[in-house]
Amino acid sequence: MDITPLVNGLYGIPVLGLVFQAIGYLVAVIPPNSTSIMSQATPLALAALCGVLCERSGVVNIGIEGTMLASAFTAWVVGVAINPMFQAAPTDVFGITIPLVIALIAAIGVALLISALHAWLSISLRADQIISGTIINIAAFGVTGYLDQLISKTSPAGAGEFTRFTPPDALTNLPGVGWIVSMFLNQGPIAMSAIVLIVGAQVWLFRSRWGLRTRAVGEHPRAAETVGIDVIRLRYKNVMIGGMFAGLGGAFLSIEATNSFQLGMTNGRGFIALAAMIMGRWTPLGAFASALLFATFLQLGQLINIAPPGGDLGTIMSAVPAQLFDALPYILTIVILAGVVGRSVPPAADGQPYERESAT
Amino acid sequence: MITRTTRLGLLAATLAIVASACSGAATPTPAAPSVAPSVAAPSVAPSAAPSVAASPSPAASTSAGAALKIGVVTDIGTLNDKGYNEYSYKGAQDAATTLGAATPPSIVPKDASEYKADIQQFVDQKFDVIVTVGFNLTSDTVAAAKANPTIHFVGVDQSPVCVDPTGAPDATFACKGDAKTLLPNYTSLYFAEDQAGYLAGIVAAYASKANIIGAIGGTTLCAPCVRYIQGYELGAKSVKPAIVVKSSYVTRDFSAAAFNDPAGGKIFADTFIKTNKVDVLFQVAGKTGNGVLEAACASKIYGIGVDVDQWTSLGAPANACVITSAEKHVESAVNQAITGIAAGNLAAGDVLFNAANDGIGASDFHDKASLFGPEVKTALDAALAAMKAGTLKTCPDTGCGVAK
Repeated sequence: MDITPLVNGLYGIPVLGLVFQAIGYLVAVIPPNSTSIMSQATPLALAALCGVLCERSGVVNIGIEGTMLASAFTAWVVGVAINPMFQAAPTDVFGITIPLVIALIAAIGVALLISALHAWLSISLRADQIISGTIINIAAFGVTGYLDQLISKTSPAGAGEFTRFTPPDALTNLPGVGWIVSMFLNQGPIAMSAIVLIVGAQVWLFRSRWGLRTRAVGEHPRAAETVGIDVIRLRYKNVMIGGMFAGLGGAFLSIEATNSFQLGMTNGRGFIALAAMIMGRWTPLGAFASALLFATFLQLGQLINIAPPGGDLGTIMSAVPAQLFDALPYILTIVILAGVVGRSVPPAADGQPYERESAT
Repeated sequence: MITRTTRLGLLAATLAIVASACSGAATPTPAAPSVAPSVAAPSVAPSAAPSVAASPSPAASTSAGAALKIGVVTDIGTLNDKGYNEYSYKGAQDAATTLGAATPPSIVPKDASEYKADIQQFVDQKFDVIVTVGFNLTSDTVAAAKANPTIHFVGVDQSPVCVDPTGAPDATFACKGDAKTLLPNYTSLYFAEDQAGYLAGIVAAYASKANIIGAIGGTTLCAPCVRYIQGYELGAKSVKPAIVVKSSYVTRDFSAAAFNDPAGGKIFADTFIKTNKVDVLFQVAGKTGNGVLEAACASKIYGIGVDVDQWTSLGAPANACVITSAEKHVESAVNQAITGIAAGNLAAGDVLFNAANDGIGASDFHDKASLFGPEVKTALDAALAAMKAGTLKTCPDTGCGVAK
């Protein structure tokens, strides 16, 4: 049976035709750009993972943005400093060089220190956690800006960047799923490790003793303490481990996504990540999915700009102010947070400093 | 800057004051330590009221060049951004050296809310010439120029100057006032970006084998960016009439994504290259554009830099695929403007820098020279000569600087 008349007939119904065109457009543009979507999502996902670990144990961390910025700067500046000592050519595996690895470790180390500061302020000193996070954001912006101004006077070259793994064509050309393969495998080491870390964190948080205790500490620290869990210590550990993930996300920006540092180059990603964390209901996989969704819409906004759809859909869309498409990811976030995902309930003791009961 | 850092240290220690300091600490300290708060030696005679004469320069007419106190307020970012901020500042330094004046201090605002306060710092310290860098500072600069008729203001890239009949910045863009007569102490330097883009377009057309070339701008709201790309398209088509020129803008507002997000720019350019199959890519997006160039090099296509000779400013290996850059000679223009103030012959209002007064150009090919035959140089020289003569159309008659 020839279905062409039927399809043409469907196209005749205005709304349905547009829906078809929209689906056709999405199918045409999303798969070829899956690698870029994952690149957009990686720093968001890592930062959101930091948020999940912190808040699951009961510590709000809005200093993720600053932590990432400081790590991005550290990774770049350490690369600049030690690159001249090692004149090694990039290896075939991810373009890894010794300076790059040292830069990455330094970036994670700095993130660890900053999150330790946040932990000390908000857990030991029981300071307002929002203010502690804000300080980290402001301080990271100021200090990196100042140091960058000192260092970039001589316009030094960085240590280079991690390169992407290229999966075999046989895999990426697979019909139907090839684009998913390139999405997750045509990536650099940090993006790939992000996938592993997120899945690992999911298992760890929901299937391990540590995870159970972490969640207990975030829900009801008093009860956790009575069964012998060291609330303070566990919170410290989670905040610091989370900080390392944020550091990885920051390093991604300056030594994997690009090979440069710019003042404020995190560009609000640390805050978007918090939205992704809430959208993902404080679970690592959920946060990752939200980050991917956000990145997809970000990419879609750009694609509409770069290669607008044709046909009636294109005509209608060209009548819509283009700014609307740039705003898509943010509108989406608001819509989802406003209730599409249902009630997203934070851990009960989220943001509340814990005070040990006195012995008396 | 040092005091800001110590203040931040202080903030970390004293949690209680942070809320008030967040709003209060918005006044940054000048970057150069040479700005002591010296209120002494105002070199401007108070009698120098703004006259309505042709091109009066009240500050210059009463003070020798060597005594000029020159201050620079840059746009957001860093002073050493290998772009606008840096070269504007260098131009001010050059002028100071020429005139024998003190090395100009600079202030780098942290965000747009600080522009006004930063300009005011120099006003309060009785500076004679205040250079403000970038379109974003326009209204604050114009307002300061109106309030301080004895101080000379030089705005880099703030044209067209638009004021209401009282000389105040006009947010409605009705532009009823004549800035030249209302604000004789304010000059906006602007550039014929379309001419520079035209030259880049010629090079791009010769370099392209696929005959599809592309350009990525920072934001549609940045008229200079649009002019660059419009000139680029016309220049390419002057060589190959059938060439396809694709262009896109990263965003449509003045957010950080437009000019300060290299990671975002690289991803955007990746998508752009993959979708449009271009083999030459012109970036007009500041630091975001450096990510664009990285993407171009990673995709093994040619890149063209913007504003300054990016082959030199980026350095190896980032410049590996850069064949030329569309240059605005900001340093030369700022230098010319300040020495013009000292000599008392700088015109007020919009002052254009184009091919005729060494305002624009295309960079050297450097290590890519072997790609181009002698005909490229000939074409560039012919275009430059025609621009100087004013006979070459480098921007569409309607909508020059307006994105489609």
